[in-house]
Order: sequence, then structure tokens, then C-alpha cells
Amino acid sequence: MLGSLFRNPLRRPPRQDAFDATLLGSVAIALPAPAGITIPAPCAAVLVDRGGRSRRLAAGSRIAVLEGETAWCVHPGPYTCDLVPFAGAPEIGLHVSFAVDASDPRATHQRFDLFLASEAGSVVDLAGFGALAQTALQRELAQGNLELPPCTTLEEWNTFRSGFNQLMYTRFGVTVDDCVPVDLGAAHDYPALLEARLAAQVVPVTAAVSAEPAAAMPAEAFVPACEDARALRRLFLELPCLMCAVRMAVLPADQVRFRQHQELLRRLDLVSLSVGTMPALELAAPGQPLAPEEQLRRARHSRRAAAALDEAWALLARMKVAGEGPLDVLFDEADRIVANLEVETGARRLTQVQDEVTA
Amino acid sequence: MTAPVFEASCRSILPDGSMLTITATRRPRAGRADVKCSVPGVPAQAERMQQVVRLARHTEPRYDSRDQVVLSADRAFDAATRDWELAAVLADRIVRGVFQAARPVVANGWSDAWHLGRIDGRALVNVPDGVLAGGPDALPHLGALTGQPDPVAATASARAWFPLHSGGDHDDLGWVDVSVRPLAGALDADDDAISVPDLDALRQGQVRAVLAGSRHFDGRGQGQWKTTVRFGETGFAGDSYGLALVMADRIARGREFMARGRVIATGTSSAWHAGKVETVDALAPKCALILREAGPGDRILLPKAWEGALPQGMREALRARGASLACVERIGII
Repeated sequence: MLGSLFRNPLRRPPRQDAFDATLLGSVAIALPAPAGITIPAPCAAVLVDRGGRSRRLAAGSRIAVLEGETAWCVHPGPYTCDLVPFAGAPEIGLHVSFAVDASDPRATHQRFDLFLASEAGSVVDLAGFGALAQTALQRELAQGNLELPPCTTLEEWNTFRSGFNQLMYTRFGVTVDDCVPVDLGAAHDYPALLEARLAAQVVPVTAAVSAEPAAAMPAEAFVPACEDARALRRLFLELPCLMCAVRMAVLPADQVRFRQHQELLRRLDLVSLSVGTMPALELAAPGQPLAPEEQLRRARHSRRAAAALDEAWALLARMKVAGEGPLDVLFDEADRIVANLEVETGARRLTQVQDEVTA
Repeated sequence: MTAPVFEASCRSILPDGSMLTITATRRPRAGRADVKCSVPGVPAQAERMQQVVRLARHTEPRYDSRDQVVLSADRAFDAATRDWELAAVLADRIVRGVFQAARPVVANGWSDAWHLGRIDGRALVNVPDGVLAGGPDALPHLGALTGQPDPVAATASARAWFPLHSGGDHDDLGWVDVSVRPLAGALDADDDAISVPDLDALRQGQVRAVLAGSRHFDGRGQGQWKTTVRFGETGFAGDSYGLALVMADRIARGREFMARGRVIATGTSSAWHAGKVETVDALAPKCALILREAGPGDRILLPKAWEGALPQGMREALRARGASLACVERIGII
């Protein structure tokens, strides 16, 4: 099963066009690099093998790929992008400039390299990366883990900044150099956006009782095999690194906390084991195919588990900035996230669910 | 944060005038279904209730798989009735602490799009006082309970709350709701596009002047929007609602950061076109009222002049409840 996962039949074939180093540093953060080229000046190369282990090569050296490795050329930046912190407020944004750091000698896993290994399909362009960062930011704000209220005071802004910086570093491995609120009115004209939304809207359902409200929603493109493979790959590669980081982030003060911490790590370990031994999406039993709708259900559970993984990284960022005080709240959050991971990975293993109203 | 609740109930008025009570309890999940419903004698309705609650949960940012919520109705109702749906959704939210109600809730409303948080209407014709009624003219979507803009509609709207009178024991918070729609053609005098159906002519003029001033300060939004301003309660005094009105307008137009809960504001200005916020009277009673009413996630905005004179321990009390307070001199970004 895992072999098939990392042979990556679903990844897009490598681009045939030549490696264009001029894109790096402006519109692209990382580009797949062909073997044998010399790494151009400010860049570094990240080589990832099939098991997700990565190593870096400095500028000036020649990319020598070992068996099974994929190489990326990464430009450290700096990059700038505009993020919209609230989906409902498109005219106010954050102007963020960030950079990909040189490797941190204290860490065994560079977070950005892990990001490349587990999430980057091939090219990491600035727009796509900005969209990912924006999603992470919006979710933290919606859950109230970061606060950016109306008429933010300077003190609140500083608290937000430290949380945001840590989030970006823990989740993506990039350091935020500067972040200022900006008026995006010129770029995202809200009246025009609303007009466009109105035009795109399907004919509203009439007031009559419709049997299936969910059917009214436009179906988004969701290919179960791709989604499932991507989510499981992320879980398989990131959970061990996450566990390692959680172990280091908290130094238990007393026996109770130690037990709690230990229990959390044990459960994460079991989730990781469950992901590592996950049955194939399309099989109910060896040689026995699974119905397409059940495959779809399984893929949805994988995707939700990956969403819980995102929350776990965000929580790790909060653990790092938090002092001793709010640890109770953070451990409760961790309990919730791990419970969600357990439920989703458990449901992913099932071949069918009996869901009764009275269960 | 507030202590967790394990039981909550929410009522709804049935077509025959009797009161239906939906009770929600919360217990550890232990491998069971996330939502369980029972309606005496009508299993089909229980199934519908489960579907409604599950769909409505899609609009929540935080997913918790650790609890099972059991919802039960205290009497049977016929299959055509759908007005209980809002009550079921709210009972499910109250018991998990997602929505915190200050007083017992009676709610009527149904929807075909709970997964979007939209409330399409209600069957109840004469809505008694204090009943939370769903529908485009009352509570159009679930986010409006805390003043959040509607995420899907082509009309952007937002609410902000303000003390109706000058505080005191019998005072209450009232809301002002600003909804804006893109204006297709260019209009030369933008205040023509602002309608305030609830108020008399004098106060309509005030509302228009306030909005025109604050939009001038923004540099945007003039001649672009068709605006409707509604008030939850029209019997308010003074002009201290100004700041709440301006904030609701800015949030509706997507030009302001957002709070998770309600925005509660008091303040006025003689120069909205410069973005200035000026002081209002009745500091102590208003603070007492706000302290009484504020809930988790709420954002309280007061004039800068009040900063030194706030009651002792008010900030800490608010923070303990999950609300935050700021004394502002100007509107806009920091």
C-alpha cells in the first residue's frame, strides 16, 4: 500500500519545458530542478527521497540526485503577498513580506522541506502559497485563536503579530519579516465582487420543501483517488514530525501534566500507525472492489483528517508562544484535535457505515 | 470561559399555538453517532431533525468529535411543520457552547440551506415579542445572531449593538443592521440610496449624514451601494448609536476586521468625515449594562475619553468572559 503511495502515480508528470531560474524569487518560490544543473546563486536545493527524508545542497554545487530523489530549487526570497484575513471583508487585508530561511541548525527537520515533500505537487508558486497561508490564517481567526477585532489597538496588534509569525513558521517554515494592514479596495472591489457572485449564482431553490437541501449545492471537483492519496501522504509524512515537535514544545511541569502529555503522544502514535497501515481506497477486501460512493466517503474522511492535521500545526504554534498559563486550554484543544483525527482515520478504514438516528 | 453546559432547551411555537420544547443534552461520544434525535411517534421527523442539525454544523469553524448531542422534542407534530428547525439548531448550539443565549430562547424558522447558515422563512404569522423569528426580514442567517456578515448572499449585511438609553437597570442593548447592495448605475448624490424605513424623517437625516461622513472618510463606498438601515428597537435616545452604525456599515462593506461575537459600541462624532470618535454621557450606567450583557467573542468599543474613568476591574471582567474592550479615538486601521 505504502509503496503505491510513494510511487506517486497521481502526481503530474514533470514539466518538459526547461528549468527557468528567472522565475525564482519573483513568482515562484520553488521549482523542480533537473539533475545535474548547478544551483544558481541565492538559491538552495532541497532533495526529497521517497520516504520523505530531505537534505539540502548549498548554492554553487551541482545537483546530484540519488536513486528515488526529487530535487527542488528554492529561492529564499524575500517575497511579498497580500492576504485577506476575513472572507467577509475583502477590502481590508494584510501586506506580508516573508522569506524562506536558511536551514536552522537546531532542527532535525526543516519545516519548509517537509512542506515541499508532503504538500508541494511540483511548482510552488507565490500565488498558490499565499492562498494556503490565507486559509490557515482565516481558520485561526474564525476559531478565535488569533484575534484581529475592529479598531485593533497596538497592543492587540502585537499579540496578533507574534501569533501570526509563529503560525507561519510552524505551519510553513517561512519567517515573516513585515506585516502591515492595507486597504485592498482598489484590487478587491467589494461591489464588483458581489455583482459577480450574483451573476454566478444558480437559480435559487423555490420556497417549496426540497427533499435534499445538499443537492442544491454546486458540486465541486473532488476526485476521490487524488484527494485521498494527497491527504494520506500528508498524514504519513507529517504526523511523525508533528509528534516530535509536540514532544519538544511542552516541558511537563508536574506528574499530572506529564501523564497528559504522554497520553497525547501515545494517541498520536496510534493515529500515525493507523495511517501507515491504511487499507487501499478502492478495495473492500483483497480482490474485492469497493463501491464508488463508499470510496467517496473514505476520501472525505481522509480530507477531514488532513484538515485536523492543519489544526494541529496551528495548535503547535500556539503552544510555542503560550507561556505556562493557558496550557489547560491548549491540552483540551489537543484532545479535541486528536479525537477528530482518531474518528476520521477510524472511519476511513471502514468499508461501510451503519448510521442510525437512534445510535 | 464560561462553564460547560450539559443540557439546554429551546422552544418553538407550533401552528396550533402550543409550545414545543426541544431539549438537547451532551454526553461523551463513546463511538456513537454525533447527533441523535427523537420525536415521540414520528421517526421521520427525527431523521429530518438530525439532518438539519448536521447541515447547520457545517457553518461552524470548529469541529469537535468528542461529544454526542441528543435532541428530543416533548410532543409530536405533524410532518408538514418545519418551523421547529431553527429551535433544534439553536438547542444544539447552546448545549455545545457555540451560541450563548442570555435568556431562554423561543425560535421559529425553517430553511432549505442550513449548510450555508441561511434561514429562509417562518410559518408563524404574528410574531409575539421576544420570539426569535427567522426569515429575510428578521434573522436572515445564523451569523446575524452575532452580527457577522452573511457569507453567501449578494447582499452584504452586518449588525452592531448599542445601549438604547443611557444604561441603567431597565436599559437593554439594541442592534442596528446595515445591509448594502451594489448599485449598478452611477448616482450623483449618494445619500439618496440610503433608506431607513424604521425612523422618522429627522432621524433618517441624521443616519444619512453619519453614513455620508464616515464613507467620505473612507474614500470609498460613495455612490457604489444601495443601503438599508434597520433598527431592532426604534425607541432609543440620543445620538450615541453613531459609532455602532458606522461600525456596522464598515463591516457590511467589508472594510473592517471582524470580531467573533457582537460589536457593542457607544460613541458619537461631529466630524465623521475625519474619522474622529467623540465622547458621550452616562459612562457608569452604560459600562454596567455592557458588563452585564457582554458574551464570549464580543468586541466593545468606547470613546477614548472614557479610558481613564472606566470602572475598576472592567477590562479584567470582560477578558475573563472572552470579550475585549478598546477605547478608540479614530475609526479605521490602527
